[in-house]
Amino acid sequence: MKRALFFFALIVAGAAVWTGFGSADSTAVKSSKATTSVTISNEQGTTWTCGFNPFNGNVNALSVGPVYEVLTFENGLKSGATTNWLASGYKWSNNSKTLTFTIRSGVKWTDGKPFSADDVIFTYNLLKKNPGLDLNADWAVLKSVTKNGNKVVFNFKTSAAPYFYYIGAQTPIVAKHIWSSIKNPVTYKDTHPVGTGPFKMSSCSPQVIKYGKNSGYWQKGYPKIDTIYYPAFTSNDPANQQLASGKAQWGSQFIPNINAYYSSKSKDNHYWFPPLVNVDIFFNLKNPILSNVAVRRAIAYAVDRGKVSRIGEYGYEPPSNQTGIVTPTFSSWLDKGLASKVTYDPKKAMSILQQAGFKKKGDLFYTKNGKPLSFTIMNIGGYSDWVASVQVIQQQLKAIGIKITPENLSGTTYDNNAYTGKFQLMYNGNESGGPAPYYELRQLLYSKNSAPIGKIASSNWERYYNKSVDRLIEAYAATTDPAKQHDIIRKLEEHMVNDVPVVPVTEGVDWYQYNTKNISGWVTQGNPYAKPAAYEIPDWGIMAMHLHAK
Amino acid sequence: MRFVVRRLGFFVLTLWAAVTLNFLIPRLMPGNAAIAMMSRYKGHIQPQALHAIEVAFGVNTHESLVHAYFTYLGNIARLRFGISLTFFPDQVTHQVLQALPWTLALVGITTILAFVLGTFIGLISGWRRGGMLDGTLPPLFVITSAFPYFWIGLLAIWLFSIKLGWLPESGGYDVQTNVAWSWSFVSDALTHAVLPAFTILITAIGGWILTMRNNMISVLAEDYVRMARAKGLSSWRIMWTYAGRNAILPNLAGFAMSLGFVVSGAILVEYVFNYPGVGWMFLQSVENQDYALMQALFLLLTVAVLVAILAADGATAVLDPRTRDRS
Repeated sequence: MKRALFFFALIVAGAAVWTGFGSADSTAVKSSKATTSVTISNEQGTTWTCGFNPFNGNVNALSVGPVYEVLTFENGLKSGATTNWLASGYKWSNNSKTLTFTIRSGVKWTDGKPFSADDVIFTYNLLKKNPGLDLNADWAVLKSVTKNGNKVVFNFKTSAAPYFYYIGAQTPIVAKHIWSSIKNPVTYKDTHPVGTGPFKMSSCSPQVIKYGKNSGYWQKGYPKIDTIYYPAFTSNDPANQQLASGKAQWGSQFIPNINAYYSSKSKDNHYWFPPLVNVDIFFNLKNPILSNVAVRRAIAYAVDRGKVSRIGEYGYEPPSNQTGIVTPTFSSWLDKGLASKVTYDPKKAMSILQQAGFKKKGDLFYTKNGKPLSFTIMNIGGYSDWVASVQVIQQQLKAIGIKITPENLSGTTYDNNAYTGKFQLMYNGNESGGPAPYYELRQLLYSKNSAPIGKIASSNWERYYNKSVDRLIEAYAATTDPAKQHDIIRKLEEHMVNDVPVVPVTEGVDWYQYNTKNISGWVTQGNPYAKPAAYEIPDWGIMAMHLHAK
Repeated sequence: MRFVVRRLGFFVLTLWAAVTLNFLIPRLMPGNAAIAMMSRYKGHIQPQALHAIEVAFGVNTHESLVHAYFTYLGNIARLRFGISLTFFPDQVTHQVLQALPWTLALVGITTILAFVLGTFIGLISGWRRGGMLDGTLPPLFVITSAFPYFWIGLLAIWLFSIKLGWLPESGGYDVQTNVAWSWSFVSDALTHAVLPAFTILITAIGGWILTMRNNMISVLAEDYVRMARAKGLSSWRIMWTYAGRNAILPNLAGFAMSLGFVVSGAILVEYVFNYPGVGWMFLQSVENQDYALMQALFLLLTVAVLVAILAADGATAVLDPRTRDRS
C-alpha cells in the first residue's frame, strides 16, 4: 500500500512536470494584445459551419446584427421603441395596410458599393421567390413591395401593424449585386458575407469566428472595439469556465449558482437576466377533463409561483402572473387589479373543484364519472431547471388533490409532441415573444396559430379557440394608436385570467453576463438599449457596436 | 488462400448488413429534422420559421422508402453523403473531414499508447509476479480505470487548469491563435491535447494491463515454457518470444476493435473538454435527426471496425500458425 502511494505521487509529479512545459508555450501564444477585443461565451452545442447566410435559421444569429442590418431597430426591452437604422424614417397609412420606408443614403456595403432602395426591394422579392428563406413569414401578410424613388412601399393583404416588427426589425437586407447572381440562395453558404453592419467577418474556423471592425461604417465613430471572438462551445461547463475566469467577457449562459460560481470570482463580473416570455403550464384543451375551466382555474390558484421560481430556477427567472404580461419588462401594459385576482390560494383551488362537482376521495379529486384528476406533464429532460420546477409544482398540486406525473423527454420528441398536440399537460417556455406583450399573447391564443390534434400547430399548442379573442388580436393589428393597443391587451389579459388557457408560472429570461474589467458600454438594467444575449438578432450587433475600452 | 477468401466474404456480408441497418434505423425515429432544428433554438427563432425550414430542408417530400434506399446505396458507392442538416447547408463530407483529424490524432494516439504501455506493463508484471512493479502499477491503473471518465476529466480540469493554471481547460486550440501550420499553432494544439490525452490514457490503460498480465500468467504455466527453461534459453528470450508472443494474441482482437472505434471519437472526452472531434458530432447528428450526417458517421465507424478486425485476423495468422489453413 505504501508503495502504491509512492507511485501515485510519482505519477502526479510526472504529470506536473510534463504539463508544466505545456503552459510555458501557451502563455507565449497569448501575449500580443494591443487592440481591444471581446470574447463571447454562448454554448450553441455545435461547432461553426462558417456559413453566414442571414436567411438560414441555423446561422442567422451569427450574421444578422453585426454584419447584416435591418431597416429599423425595435427595442424589446422598451416595449418596442424604434430607432431608424437602414431606413431613415417610416410611415403607416391606409388603415395599417401600407407601410412606407424612406431608405437612408450614404450607406455602403463592406465591398465599397453603395446601398440603395434597390437592395431592399431585391431582398423582399428574394424571400417571395424562395419561401425557404422567409423565416419571418413576411409573405404570409405582404401583397407587394414597390419602389418610389428612395422610398420602399409595402402593401399588406390585411391590416398588419404588428408585422412591422418582422418586416422592419427582423428581416436582414442583403446586397442585390451579390445575391442576384446566386443560383440557389437556400443552400447558399455565404462564407464571406458582405453587409452594411458595424463588423465584418474576418476569419472563421469550426472553433472560432473572428469579427473585425468595419472602418467605413455609416454611423460615424462606431464601432469602438476592434475584434469580437465567438468561440464554439459544444457544452455548458467549458463555456461557463471561460466566463468565470474572465477569458470571455460576454456570456449568454445558464450558470447554476451564479453568485458562488461567477460573481464571487471577480468584482468585475456582473449579470442581468431581463425577463421576456412566460414559462407556462399548457393544458391540452382537447382533453375532456382539462377542457373544464374549473380544473384549470384550480391549478392556477394551486401553484405557488414564487416558490417555483426560488427552488426550480434559483430565483433567476422571476414568478409570473396569470395575465400573461411579463414584468417588469412590460409593466406599463399590466392591469394590476387583474393580476392580483389569481394568487397562491390552495383552499380556494379546492373549493373551485368542489363547486364544479368534483368529489374528493382519499387524496385525489374525481370527476362525476369517477375519473381521477391525474395527468402526465410533458417536460424537457435536458433542462434541469424546468425539471426541478415541475417537481415543485407536483408537490403543490398534490396538496389540493390533483396528481401530475412528469414525463421528461428529449427536446426533439418533446417539440414533436407539442406541435402535434400529443400531451395532457406540458411545461413550456418556448414561445419566441416579441417587443411587446401582444406577440406572446398572439402566439399563445390566436386560433390561426393552432391546428387539429395530429397536425402541426405553430405556437397555440394548447389548441385554444375563442372567436372574441381572435377578433381582439385582429383589431390590434389594425391600429397603431398606443391607447387602443393598451385597451386591447387589457381585454386579452381578462381572457387569460377568466379562461386560463395556460398558467404562466415563471418568466423566461435572456441569459446575460458581462465583465467590466477592460470593457464598458454594456447593456445594464439602468440602460436597456438592446436585448443583451449574444443570440438575440439584431440586438447583439447593436450592443457590440456600443462596447468600448475602459 | 481459402482463409483470405472466407474472411473477405464475411467482410462484404457484414458491410452490406451494416449499411442497410444504417439506412433503416434512423428512419424509425419519430419527428422530423425541421422540428429538431426548432427545438435546438429554444424559441430564439419565430414559430413561423418552421415552414421556411421545412421548405429549405426538403422534409415532407414523401419519397418512397424503397426508392430512397436505392438512391442511398448509389450515393454511398460514390461516396456522396449529401448535405448535413445540423450544419446546413454544408456538405457532410466537409464537416466530417474537418472533425476527423482532431479525433484521429487525440484518440488514435492515446489508444495506441494505452495499448503499448498497458501490454508492456502487463507483460513485465506477469513475468515478475509479486515484484515491485506488479505490486504497484496494475492495482493503481485498475483503480483509475474504474472511475467514471467524466469524473476524472472534471477533476483534472479542476486541478491542472483552474487551481494550478498550467493547462487550458477546453477547446482544441486557443481562439486567438491563427490556424496555420506554424510552431505556435501546433504547440498550442498540443498543449490543449495534454489533459484530454492524459485522462483517456489513465482510464484506458488498466484493462490492457490486467488482461495482458493474466494471459501472461496462464501462458507461463504451459509446458512449452517449461521446455524452454529446460533448454536453458535466456529468460529474455522466453519472456518475449515464448510467453509474450502467445499472451498477446487474445489482446490483439480487442485492440483492433478499439482502433476501429477510434473514428467514433470519445463523446465524453469531447464533451468535457469541448474538443472539436467527431464524437460530439455523432450525438448532434442523432439529436437533430440529421440522416445524412448520421449515415456517413455510422458507415465510417462500421468500415473502420471491419477493416480493423480484418487486419487483426491477418496479424493473428502471422503470429499464430495454428489459425492458418492446413492446406
